[in-house]
Amino acid sequence: MGSNEAATDLDLVRRIKAGDDQAFEEMVKRYHARVYSLSYGVLRNPQDAEEATQDAFLTLYRKIGTFDESRKFFSWFYRVALNSAYSRARRRPALPTIAIEDRLPKFSGDGHFAAEVPDWSVAIEDDVAARELAARAGEFIGELPPAYRDVIWMNDVEGMAPPEIAETLEISIPAFKSRLHRARLYVRQRLSEISSTPNRAEAAG
Amino acid sequence: MTDGKTCKELILDCLLEFEEGTMPVGERQDLQLHFEMCPPCMNFLATYRATGKALKMLKPTEIPPALEETVMTFVRARREKEKG
Repeated sequence: MGSNEAATDLDLVRRIKAGDDQAFEEMVKRYHARVYSLSYGVLRNPQDAEEATQDAFLTLYRKIGTFDESRKFFSWFYRVALNSAYSRARRRPALPTIAIEDRLPKFSGDGHFAAEVPDWSVAIEDDVAARELAARAGEFIGELPPAYRDVIWMNDVEGMAPPEIAETLEISIPAFKSRLHRARLYVRQRLSEISSTPNRAEAAG
Repeated sequence: MTDGKTCKELILDCLLEFEEGTMPVGERQDLQLHFEMCPPCMNFLATYRATGKALKMLKPTEIPPALEETVMTFVRARREKEKG
């Protein structure tokens, strides 16, 4: 038996490779919530996220022999989890793809904003309005191409560290930053479109 | 603007690093001044931050209670099936 509390991911990987069922169980305990949450980001549905989580662990069991031990386990496994989730997402009717460029802020030739920029940020201070904004933000993330969706979900929702995200997605840090910023600009713009200007009195004054 | 940057450059090229706090202090102060003097950029910053707060609320707080067990049962069943 012995305590597994301090076992590193790599210890567990090696034991799973050797057929240790308890090590596999420990890995499920350690990663199931994170894998579920990642899957939920792609699928936005609890049942699909649960099934994708099962698929991810089945793939882990089947493919652990191919895991290169010089790499970090979590980044390999998060990719497995994302692939499982996207594989499930592909079974759904495809959503129309969007062009992020169409929803980036517009500027005039001299670099000033081309249109008025309403401030709807006060809505986030109100519980009910904030929940509504969050729900809509989730829908708008779903409109993004996967390369952008993964980055904004992992960073802004999951709170993963940028180097971890870049490693998992096998992209550079500059590419990560560029995708993150564009994804945020897109979601901000979509939220602006649905947020009525709460109070124009100040501007009129 | 005092920072020598246009609103476009500020929003598209600098905002992420400004928010991350990874920018050199002097540059950050210049941009801060731009925001303070430029209502559209200030509004943009406020709504960019509100977007971030909305996104933070999305993390699923409810993990299905039996998920760990469901996963183990699923994997064991598939493993047995494949062995058999």
